[in-house]
Amino acid sequence: MSRNNNSNKRSRLTKDHFTGRMRYFFARAMANIRQNVFIHVVSAGTIALSLLIFSLFLLVYVNLEGAAENWSKKVQVTLYFDQELNQSELMSLKSRIMAIAGTDTLTYISKDEAVQRFRGRLKGQEALLTGVSAEILPASLEIGLKRGSRNSESIEAYVATLKGVPGVTEVQYGEEWVRKFNTFLNFARLVGALLGAFLLIAVIFIVSNTIKLTVYSRKDEIELLSLVGATRMFIKAPFLIEGTLQGLVGSAGALLTLGVLYLAFLNNGGNFLSFDPAQAGLTFLPPSFVGGIFLGGVLVGFLGSLTSLKRFINV
Amino acid sequence: MIQIHNVHMSYKNDAAALNGVTLSVRKGDFAFLTGVSGAGKSTLLRLIYAALQPSRGQILIDGQNLSRMSRREIPYLRRGIGVVFQDFKLLPNRTVLENVAITLEVLGWSKKDIGKKVYHVLKQMGLEHKIDSTPLRLSGGEQQRVALARALVNDPKILLADEPTGNLDEENKEQILSIFREANIRGTTVLVASHDRRLIESCHKRIVVLDKGRIVEDSDVPK
Repeated sequence: MSRNNNSNKRSRLTKDHFTGRMRYFFARAMANIRQNVFIHVVSAGTIALSLLIFSLFLLVYVNLEGAAENWSKKVQVTLYFDQELNQSELMSLKSRIMAIAGTDTLTYISKDEAVQRFRGRLKGQEALLTGVSAEILPASLEIGLKRGSRNSESIEAYVATLKGVPGVTEVQYGEEWVRKFNTFLNFARLVGALLGAFLLIAVIFIVSNTIKLTVYSRKDEIELLSLVGATRMFIKAPFLIEGTLQGLVGSAGALLTLGVLYLAFLNNGGNFLSFDPAQAGLTFLPPSFVGGIFLGGVLVGFLGSLTSLKRFINV
Repeated sequence: MIQIHNVHMSYKNDAAALNGVTLSVRKGDFAFLTGVSGAGKSTLLRLIYAALQPSRGQILIDGQNLSRMSRREIPYLRRGIGVVFQDFKLLPNRTVLENVAITLEVLGWSKKDIGKKVYHVLKQMGLEHKIDSTPLRLSGGEQQRVALARALVNDPKILLADEPTGNLDEENKEQILSIFREANIRGTTVLVASHDRRLIESCHKRIVVLDKGRIVEDSDVPK
């Protein structure tokens, strides 16, 4: 009788045994990839393509969100004064306004600055400005708001508080524009979130089914391993390593391709667009998104293998 | 070695595959299971290596009751049972060496020991020169001998074979049978399911005849 079938009991794994097993599982996974190279390339390619589509969507979304953020900076509240404020009046008013929650920036525009700005806007039509003096235009204080205070309700509440500050008489903030802008922004965000969710579900579905097919194509191997007495762990481990590697290669491929496409667009987009993308302030995905896509790909690869294996292992 | 007590087995929505089978195969026995297709031969073998659970009855392998065995213990039971099939079940993208080595890899043997043992077994089967070939480059007889090498490489206590000569010519059938005999001489209990009556009778071993899930004949053929 062989030295190996004297006992049917499970033996405890020593540290050396465990390390040896892990080394074997990795070597087995690598050998399996070499022996089934086509199916692994197709699987990693599908993961890369699916994640690339999702990453492209995220890149567009992030940049549109950035553009919306820039536009929303135009939402500001302006106070007008009949007379110029002296330095102490201005300092006192500024400190009171800064104390109101939601205040971000304060810019005082004196009568002279107002005229200069007006002239700047009417460049080429200076004739219209004949007789216009600094006295005609009022001095003003432009209040930039923090991000969370730029919607209609917050601005209304802010203006109500502002009107209670002594010395504040005339307040303007373009109610109609703010309302329309916020409605559009909310709608765009909703559409974006829905599209993103659908894309994410589609990506998970495609990736997990691709991995399922790669596992299915090797069901004979799983059956055989279970027949010769392999434990569930022994059968699963190389498949899980392979799935994780597929996810890793797929997500790295997707992010690399996205980076190349992004740089290519920045450098060549101006040739077929009416603006130069390099000057438009376009950004790449933030590191948290890049990390999320990478880890997400790895996780989907691992979980895809794990769930597929359950179906085929009967020990 | 193998004790089967009043085993019943039914598949979903099907007639009973086994109907009260009681059978005892002693350690070192060599027995044939025979009967027409659908008699229950394969089902009985699958019950013995715990690929199926009986609907009723008890199966003891080397004193261990399979129905009391947890799912985690089954792989350890199977390490003492070699199984061969009519369709060989070889992995086409692995070499002969890798196909046979699977059994020893599962047991945690070192690469060096595996290489030595596999070479030794393949030499016994007359296949050492095919060690680096893939199964698709082998004849049917050679493929079945590789499958046998895989089943026997760890010297199992029991060897089960389900129609092992079904796809082979007369010369290869005889070669496979002689491997069974040698394994049996070394102490392995051998149970072969086959409906090839001529082959079975030429072996002069115990014959168990199944019909419609029942044992209808169980006799040692006179030597």
